Amino acid sequence: MNEQRKDILDMLAEGKITAEEAEQLIAALERDQPPAAASLDARPKGKAKYLRVVVDTLENGEPGRVNVRVPLQLLRAGVRLAALIPPQALGKANAELNKSGVPFDLTQLKPEQLETLVEHLDEMTVEVDQPDAKVRVFCE
Amino acid sequence: MMPQLVTARVKRPDGRPIRIWVPVLPVVLVFSPVLVLAVLVAAVACLVYRVSAMRALGTGWRIVSALPGTRVDVEQGRTAVLVTIR
Repeated sequence: MNEQRKDILDMLAEGKITAEEAEQLIAALERDQPPAAASLDARPKGKAKYLRVVVDTLENGEPGRVNVRVPLQLLRAGVRLAALIPPQALGKANAELNKSGVPFDLTQLKPEQLETLVEHLDEMTVEVDQPDAKVRVFCE
Repeated sequence: MMPQLVTARVKRPDGRPIRIWVPVLPVVLVFSPVLVLAVLVAAVACLVYRVSAMRALGTGWRIVSALPGTRVDVEQGRTAVLVTIR
């Protein structure tokens, strides 16, 4: 029981306020309470350790399932590997991306930006629903 | 920490599973001469492409040491393959 609610009940017990007034005060108190506690309980916030990719398919009536779990640490290490790619290889990759209609400059991608991206992956969930396939990407 | 055990389980269409446990350290020791050669070739490639060999080595080690916990599970009909790295 919080302090303000206890004060209201004390005043009611001492006859300083009526039962209706106490009810109104408690109702007003509840309106002012932030709903933060409820939302935090709904999704426990912990440090995600793995990236999960789950694919459920149905091909020719046969169910198929791909379930991959990759440590996020591996993604971080992979991001550092990307920083080792020589500039001439990045230039070639840029040219190929442009040819494919993806005008993306890989040389502008900095390792620290990728690190930040990996750090925030735990807040990401991707779900794709198709009649014959279901894909889920999330962190746990 | 370096991976210690790689486990593979293959379930064949007839339902009989095959399980393989590969202890990483003994395999690395057996293949160490090949590994040394591979590291030398990688170092030369780093010099050719002007990439810091030490940085590349460090990154490679980070990738290897981040592998434990990886799990790949593929099922299709009555066939299934499961690979885990511990």
